[in-house]
Amino acid sequence: MTMAIENDAQQLIDTYLKSLRTKLRGLNRDDINEIIEELRSHIQDKAASSGELTVAGVREALAALGSAEELAREYATDALLARAEFSRSPLRVLDSLFRWASLSAAGFLVLVSTVVGYFLGGAFMWCAVLKLVHPRTAGLWLIPLSDGGFAISLRMGFGSPPIDGRELLGWWILPLGLIGGCALVVLTTRFALWSARQYRRSHLLPQA
Amino acid sequence: MKEGDRDGEVADKWEVQLRKGCLELAILAALWGGKLYGLEILRRLESDSDLIVSEGTVYPLLSRLKALGLVRSEWVESESGHPRKYYALTAAGKHRAVEMATTWARFSSSMGKLLAPLGKGR
Repeated sequence: MTMAIENDAQQLIDTYLKSLRTKLRGLNRDDINEIIEELRSHIQDKAASSGELTVAGVREALAALGSAEELAREYATDALLARAEFSRSPLRVLDSLFRWASLSAAGFLVLVSTVVGYFLGGAFMWCAVLKLVHPRTAGLWLIPLSDGGFAISLRMGFGSPPIDGRELLGWWILPLGLIGGCALVVLTTRFALWSARQYRRSHLLPQA
Repeated sequence: MKEGDRDGEVADKWEVQLRKGCLELAILAALWGGKLYGLEILRRLESDSDLIVSEGTVYPLLSRLKALGLVRSEWVESESGHPRKYYALTAAGKHRAVEMATTWARFSSSMGKLLAPLGKGR
């Protein structure tokens, strides 16, 4: 009888940890194994504090840990912050953001904004470099629209220049594109890390 | 009545923020006396400080402190039949803990001066 209860309790633990393992997918495999084994040990200690592993004890221990999804989110944002302390390379930041985005809506919004930020930053830098190759066509252009309005277009210089368009920066695109593009990339990285930190803080303790 | 409720809510939020800010220092301080495993750290925080910490928070935070090189971990077999993951401060972790404790003491003493008149007024 006791054996059957212990089996049920073990099964509950296994189900929870299996679900957590699925949600942690993307993190380093060794790290995932460590996390799972550490939490298994924690749940067993907590649930068997009276001496025996009981179903009620396991349920209580799991409730105190929170949902597998919430826990996975905490690990994902912490992994992002820890990695960022060592390397602020956009690729690393994006890689971590993809994991965060798969776990929460907040992560997804931050990911989208970050992708846009990096894309614009990269485009400005790329345009500055291509100005050397396409001096007459690459740059920031003001193009008149048929409805009387204007559109601003960052052109890499492939193809012919837009009809009636006016180039705004001339050779200034070279320093401005490089400095502005770099600044945008740095600011985007900071924004991503700041968001992760804010998210982390708001989930640190149960709300009062 | 409503005004009072809102005041209480603002005060609660402030207290939560205050506790959150202390958590990293509290964990490093809990490990000062020697290695502990996760549940022991949680119990130490509960008994020796006023920090009510959600369990699902401490483990990810410990893995972050480890990734930062402030703590190291090792698995130790226990008499309960399963191994436990023990954490201990690294040299960098000790240094950081002392640094944070110094800042804390300085801040707390200067706030103490500022807050002294409030105590007399109660």
